[in-house]
Amino acid sequence: MRKTYKDYIGMLVFLLPAIVLFAAFFLYPVGYVVVTSLLKWDGITKATFVGLNNYKLIFTDEVFLTSIKNNIIWALAGGLIQVPLALMIALILARKPRGWKIFRTVYFFPNIISGVALAMMWSAIFNDEYGVLNGLLRIIGLESLQRNWLGDLHSAFPSLIIYWLFYIGYFMIIILAEISSIPETYYEAASIDGASKLKQDLFITIPLCKGSISTCMTLAMVYGLRQFEQVYMLTNGGPANKTSVMVLYLYKQIQNYRYGMANASGVVLIIIGALVIITIKKLFRVEKYQM
Amino acid sequence: MKTAKNSLETTERKDIIVTKPKKPLKVFISENAKSIFKWGLLLFFLMYTLVPMLWLIISSLKTNTELMGSHFSLPSKLQFGNYINAFAVSGLGTLFLNSIIISLAATLLNVLVAAMAGYVISRFNFKLKEGIFTMFITGILVPINALMVPYFTLITKLNLYDKKIGLILTYAAIGIPMSVYIIRGFMNTIPAELEEAAAIEGCSFYQRFFKIILPLSRTGLVTAGTFQFLLCWNEFIYAMLLTSSVKSRTIQLGVRYFSNQFTTDYTSMYAAIVISIIPSIIGYIIFQEQIISGLTNGAVKG
Repeated sequence: MRKTYKDYIGMLVFLLPAIVLFAAFFLYPVGYVVVTSLLKWDGITKATFVGLNNYKLIFTDEVFLTSIKNNIIWALAGGLIQVPLALMIALILARKPRGWKIFRTVYFFPNIISGVALAMMWSAIFNDEYGVLNGLLRIIGLESLQRNWLGDLHSAFPSLIIYWLFYIGYFMIIILAEISSIPETYYEAASIDGASKLKQDLFITIPLCKGSISTCMTLAMVYGLRQFEQVYMLTNGGPANKTSVMVLYLYKQIQNYRYGMANASGVVLIIIGALVIITIKKLFRVEKYQM
Repeated sequence: MKTAKNSLETTERKDIIVTKPKKPLKVFISENAKSIFKWGLLLFFLMYTLVPMLWLIISSLKTNTELMGSHFSLPSKLQFGNYINAFAVSGLGTLFLNSIIISLAATLLNVLVAAMAGYVISRFNFKLKEGIFTMFITGILVPINALMVPYFTLITKLNLYDKKIGLILTYAAIGIPMSVYIIRGFMNTIPAELEEAAAIEGCSFYQRFFKIILPLSRTGLVTAGTFQFLLCWNEFIYAMLLTSSVKSRTIQLGVRYFSNQFTTDYTSMYAAIVISIIPSIIGYIIFQEQIISGLTNGAVKG
């Protein structure tokens, strides 16, 4: 279609609001954190240029290093445990067993509920005095396993991430969608050749939904890096900062008016996020950008 | 026409091929074990999701003494008073209303802006088209939590701190990448001929958008809107960072505030949590197909 002069004006007018909002809330802030991470700045006195000093400060801070480690564990657990679980369930539901729609619906519930509500729910489960988990252990006679799940140095961080790993609904639906787009004829041909269901899954389905699996891994790992609500609500980084994560660290720096350090940790978070995305793209050799 | 006929034939032939021979016992046992494993897995994940939520709802209808006494008993009398408490004590009503206003306004603004941009990116060819689209979708993966200081500075400078409009603007902007992505995907499926015909009839750029493209991409708009609404309703960090008083705070902060103020009144706290998740559940049940098709389109079309 030939574009008229008025079309060009219209295109500009229509693109402008989105671009302005994007520039204000994505481009400018990213540039802003990079630049201000080089400043010593408390929001009151004048900012001074300190080079990479903020980075030196955060990378010598034990709490920040723990946070990075925790985020990486969280991201890996998401990508390597949560996504494979989701894939397994998607493979089962793809054969449309009885009631598969109900399963699909229910599995997705945790993804529409706020992180705060979920965290509060699980704090009731993990609580040492009146918690459900300890109550359950008492009933089945495993009193010895009872503990203050979120207060104990050893169990706090595992408790924090494990409960989330079994919420597979989001990734399951993404993978299921791609499975259902695979032509039926492939399976017909395979079963004529005598391939078992398991072999069909391994050699037809999984290779053909590589795209959605890599999408899910990217999303799962990025969520692992972004974590905040769960930690903030359940442990606030304790005990002894064992459960701190990068965003919580960043938030605490802001509360202490260390904006330079906050932004330096923000830059680290963005860089790690970008590395994760690039690595997964390379690993899966996904040509086209997929979400 | 011919292909349709062919595929019909193949499906018929399939029925003939798939007549199963009688199974030997070994196969029968291994298949049963497989099906037990399969159903066990499906039910485990089902219970894992549902039981804690049901427990929360049941507990929110107990008295605190009952809750402390036993975790798994049913309430002797349904304590709807907990829900009244949750509203009365923590100002949950105002926060609930704030959440509705902020989420709806941010969703409308977001979908309108994204639809306009999506229209241009989907329907026209121009030099920077791919560049602009890539820029938007890269935004989906930016960890926005890393941008707390600049958002705070920006909102304060715009004089929008602790105002609903500040959150509305922030949420609308945060969701732009995802919404542009979803809406453009839907608009791509609308045939170009429709618009060309309209252009020949003398429809202007704006008429084509409002009268043809917008109505035809309604599903995409609803899908993007549903995602956006859930994002706004559930968002926590920026609601906490960019507001300071009850007049502009959202329900997520209400739930959190509740946990600080009344640490002994657990059952009312549970009632507050249930209140905060009800709109999400209702929204999900109404728009389930859209949510699923949104995720589906994202995964398959790429």
